[in-house]
Amino acid sequence: MMPRPGEDLKPNDAGTNEAGEFRARGNPPFPAVPRRTQLTAIAWLRWQLFVNTLRTTRGQLELLSRILVSFFFAVLAFGGGLGLAILSYMSLSSGKPLVVAVFFWMIFVFWQVFPIMATAFASTPDSSDLLRFPLSYSSYFLVRLAYGAFDPASAIGSLWTLGIVAGTTFAKPSIFPWALLVVLVFVAFNIVLSQTIFAWVERWLAQRRTREIMGVLFLVIMLGCQLIAPLTGRMGKGARPGLQRMVEAIVPIQQAFPPGLAADAIIQAIYPQILTALSSLGLLCAYTLVIAYLLHVRLAAQYRGENLSEIAAASTRAQAGDLRPGWSLPGFAAPVAAVLEKEIRYLMRSGPMLFALIMPMVMLILFRFGAMNSARRQVPFFAHTPDLAFPVATAYAILALTNLVYNNFGGDAAGIQFLYASPASFRDIVLAKNLTHAVILAFESLLAWTAVALLYRRPSFAVTIATVAGLLFAAPLNFAVGNLLSLYSPRKVDYSKFGRQRASQLPALVSIGVQFALVGIGVSAFWLASYLGNFWIATLLLLALAGVSFTIYRVILNSMDRLAVEKRETMVAELCKG
Amino acid sequence: MNAAPTISTEGLSRRFGDLLAVDGVNLHVSPGQFFGFLGPNGAGKSTTIKMLTGLLAPSGGRIEILGLDLGENPVEVKRQIGVVPEGMALFGRLTGSEFLNFAGRMYGLTRETAAQRSAELLEFMQLADQRKKLVTDYSHGMQKKLAMAAAVIHGPKVLFLDEPFEGVDAIAAGTLKSMLQGMIARGATIFLTSHVLEIVERLCSHVAIIHKGKLVAQGSLEGLRAGVEAQMSAGAGDDMAPMAGEKLTLEEIFLRTVGGEHRGEQELSWL
Repeated sequence: MMPRPGEDLKPNDAGTNEAGEFRARGNPPFPAVPRRTQLTAIAWLRWQLFVNTLRTTRGQLELLSRILVSFFFAVLAFGGGLGLAILSYMSLSSGKPLVVAVFFWMIFVFWQVFPIMATAFASTPDSSDLLRFPLSYSSYFLVRLAYGAFDPASAIGSLWTLGIVAGTTFAKPSIFPWALLVVLVFVAFNIVLSQTIFAWVERWLAQRRTREIMGVLFLVIMLGCQLIAPLTGRMGKGARPGLQRMVEAIVPIQQAFPPGLAADAIIQAIYPQILTALSSLGLLCAYTLVIAYLLHVRLAAQYRGENLSEIAAASTRAQAGDLRPGWSLPGFAAPVAAVLEKEIRYLMRSGPMLFALIMPMVMLILFRFGAMNSARRQVPFFAHTPDLAFPVATAYAILALTNLVYNNFGGDAAGIQFLYASPASFRDIVLAKNLTHAVILAFESLLAWTAVALLYRRPSFAVTIATVAGLLFAAPLNFAVGNLLSLYSPRKVDYSKFGRQRASQLPALVSIGVQFALVGIGVSAFWLASYLGNFWIATLLLLALAGVSFTIYRVILNSMDRLAVEKRETMVAELCKG
Repeated sequence: MNAAPTISTEGLSRRFGDLLAVDGVNLHVSPGQFFGFLGPNGAGKSTTIKMLTGLLAPSGGRIEILGLDLGENPVEVKRQIGVVPEGMALFGRLTGSEFLNFAGRMYGLTRETAAQRSAELLEFMQLADQRKKLVTDYSHGMQKKLAMAAAVIHGPKVLFLDEPFEGVDAIAAGTLKSMLQGMIARGATIFLTSHVLEIVERLCSHVAIIHKGKLVAQGSLEGLRAGVEAQMSAGAGDDMAPMAGEKLTLEEIFLRTVGGEHRGEQELSWL
């Protein structure tokens, strides 16, 4: 049975036997551990974890960047607080109290969204690790709330709300105690809500399937945000702008939600509609309690020791006698086909990579509709020079592949040991990986061509061939440099994870340099051809360069076996890291 | 007449900066032996097995597997051996079935043979109903079984296993042991490291003990036991000596050989 809020639970494994008889020689019975001792110990743990990061040079640099970031946060918090105080005062003095609701909404959105963006789906550290200790449930609940209370979003959000209190107090001094009370409840609501969101997101991120669904949803939302500006731009046109109609419709609705209720509680007290103000505060308290209950449901499950094992979650749909041979690739050795199959399967199961690969198409759509709907530019960007759309989209497709090409073995992780232990040559393995990249590039180019034809106009034959020639030049050179860097500076990556994964600095810098050089050469060839009015000139130039880049590629590919043996220790050590 | 060793090293060493992790190791493992390679934590076991399987370059010395110099014929050697390294070397984003197919193809099996053997191995390892699950979703024990299946899919003559029973439950361990014993019965050679001395004692016919990078003992279990017992009878009043008529366990042999000490009762008296 789920415990009620405030009720203390017994930990899973209390540490004594059934009779509670275990007692070490000469020891008194286990004493109750004071909550204060535990909370002090946890605070010390967090501090010590921070101090220990300073042991390394990277940690010290990290501290420097944290100081800079903290300075930025301080400016944001105090500056924002001051600004909100002035704006609240002005809006109340000028008889526009509804503006205060906008401020509360802004603070609310920042408070809830900022921590998610800042942590990039990382889970809250060590909170559930604490469960091995004899921590009471209420202490655990408090610890989780404390984690939320001391994060930058809470500090900034609290100062901003205090700014609103200051502004309203200047406008009507007698309101101060009431406004402070409302704002305190609003702060509590936000802290509880952010922790509830984290606790539930943690739950969903604990399993691969739900994690991937969450990731896709997140990216869809981010993409949706990209289309907000074009849509609002379109709504702003006409006699009675749709945006205004939307705002009029939203005002009464927003008052039913916590930020609106907090604003309403203050505004109604100013005018004064005490009963309405009280009911708004009451509803805000009710929201806080409901959210706290949801947090409790999650934390209680964690406290009891829930099983989020993938083994229990994953379905088993195998059928007996289901023999399916691997792929074959005529003209290539078996390991090439095997690695190609593996790479394609990895790619198809990687939401973030698939997303990266559709980005060129998304960019074309955004350019097309974003520009069309913007207030200043009525004509889509590529509408002036539609011939450029296909080469640019193809160049973007090469860029989208950078992570894969410049860190060939990153996704293999511990599997690299298998590759080293197998009798397959690294030349074959790398060739298969490059073939995969080439297939993706060809597919992307085809998609880009179709998208350009649908969105603008069909690229001319000469431009299409020149772009293909550009690809034949750029891809092998990119692959060649990528293959070298994949061996010299490997970095383990999990392509199933959304959010930032620390990239290796060297490949990142080199890839930028190479991409710049390739794009520069490509652009020069196209510019020259355009200047001379004949795209076939670009084709000839790029085909000649493709011959050179293919030769470089072959030379480097043939050295893969030797280099892989030379770099095996770095590779195994780096890719098998825990 | 002694057969040519399946695994043999001469003066094998490996240095990591100032640390000599493996120091002049001379190993000899004969065909068909179930060979246990033991040592305390940090003794150099994993480093040695990595060098024997081509995952790590030696700083000095020579390695011969099946009569072939590993440095000169790495591909030929790899074709004939199977490896379950420390990190299991799995590809998490493939299903169990896909991974075994992939492994088979990498060892040069035809598509049909790889698929057939994958199915048989999954069945044998009791993973058939999990074949469509991603490897990353497997439990630790299931991953161990899968890694083992991938290591044997091409029917290797020599199998190197680094801690194959670590984190594996009794049922899975039983499955693995029966497969390994089957391989030995068919003439394969198995070289394993393990901290679980009871398992090594039950499975292995020969053992070697490495301590601080140096090989301190090597031979048949009976030979080592006799050696240690002879040492013990030379020195009287040993508190680790077995009762009359009892055999020394491998743990006792191990502790004797590496100089491990049991802590006395006076320490941690509050426990």
